Amino acid sequence: MNRYLSQVMTIIWKDFITEIKTRELFSSMFIFALLVVIIFIFSINLSLIKASEVGPGVLWVAFLFAGTIGLNRSFMLEKENDCLQGLLLAPMDRTALYFGKLVSNLVFLLIMEVFTLPLFMVFFNIDLLPHLLPLLYVIFVGTLGFCAVGTLLSSLSANLKTRDIMLPILLYPIIIPIIIGSVKMTGQVLAGEPLSSMMNWVSLILCFDIIYIAISIMVIDFVLEE
Amino acid sequence: MNEQINPDSSHSIIQVQELRKDFGYLQALSGVSFNLNKGEFLTIFGPNGAGKTTLIKILTGLMRPTSGSANIDGFDALEGNTMLRSRIGVISHATCLYPDLTALENLLFYAKLYGLDDPEERANESINTAGLQLRRYDPIRTFSRGMQQRVAIARATLHDPSVLFLDEPFTGLDLQATSDLKDRLRGLHTGKRTILMTTHDISCGLEMCDRVAIQSRGKFSLFESVDCIDQSNFKNLYTKSLEQ
Repeated sequence: MNRYLSQVMTIIWKDFITEIKTRELFSSMFIFALLVVIIFIFSINLSLIKASEVGPGVLWVAFLFAGTIGLNRSFMLEKENDCLQGLLLAPMDRTALYFGKLVSNLVFLLIMEVFTLPLFMVFFNIDLLPHLLPLLYVIFVGTLGFCAVGTLLSSLSANLKTRDIMLPILLYPIIIPIIIGSVKMTGQVLAGEPLSSMMNWVSLILCFDIIYIAISIMVIDFVLEE
Repeated sequence: MNEQINPDSSHSIIQVQELRKDFGYLQALSGVSFNLNKGEFLTIFGPNGAGKTTLIKILTGLMRPTSGSANIDGFDALEGNTMLRSRIGVISHATCLYPDLTALENLLFYAKLYGLDDPEERANESINTAGLQLRRYDPIRTFSRGMQQRVAIARATLHDPSVLFLDEPFTGLDLQATSDLKDRLRGLHTGKRTILMTTHDISCGLEMCDRVAIQSRGKFSLFESVDCIDQSNFKNLYTKSLEQ
């Protein structure tokens, strides 16, 4: 177990050190998320529609699109110089590779989301501070599900010629339940409702998180096989 | 064929029986069988598309065959055993190195993945053996192809594997880098390490091997001890084997 955890941590360490050196992933995701928020700000007339009603949808669209860029890049790094082959030849369970990449993707996305929130707050003129903790919880469970299935599918699409197109085509239909739940919960949190009043949504998203992670563990061997 | 050359398979570290691999209608391997003893160096020659890389991918557990069996160092190579992976090393024309990480960080990463004791020391030792101690803190991206290949060899041999697979290791190397690589491979060819190499380069391949094979259209058309062949006439033998 110690060795397994050590291998997971080693993959996370490698991803972090690469990101610290290149800053490619964070900068591209953050700028993209920012652009999405700005585009929506100019396309929505906030004098007619309440910002708290459209805001959650805009926020999750920004997270979704920017996150897809991050997930695509995640396994692209492993394809350069065929590093993925080096990982597959290492004496480790392939689920360790999956969990290492999952945690890296999750942390990178959460950092991007945390940086996007203040901008969203300014542009949509919504005070997030009173709801910050429940909002961060909703963002965490939603992003976890997104990354769980996204990491699996990015490992699958990394071997395809049309990888840039295939990831969103495969990913978006599968994560619809998580995105719907996350948008609904974010709206309710911004409306000041406590998390205890939305346990149905919380349970639904957590169930999907668990299901997606369990399926990924079961199929990752086959997905990574040539 | 292999039984004539290598009748005692009990000492074989690599045992391959009737390995087949189909990609749809295309047969990449059509019944490859051979045994290789501990410490032997086998060079497999063959044209592009002969199935050499497919053979190595199957033997290293990266690909499943359609049928057949392969046993390496007592482990079933087709089951993707992690114990087996700790005993093999693979060097190919792709270096498996992260271009943005330094040479030392790359080796440290793999040393940790392989669960080696004192990974820092092992990574430093390997980089010294590769003769790149002055470039250890430089990103791989800044290295020449030859230097990258030296780090790739250090990566593949970090864990002191008992079986080494080399898939076209000379691809893209200049004369000096080829000569350096040959010297390094000679150093690795000790009695305890078995090496299987595929290459197009006849002179490089023949220089180092104990056994030679020619692979064409997914099967071996020749498998001999290098002492049993006329090396000066090998190019003709190779051409004839491909025509058969």
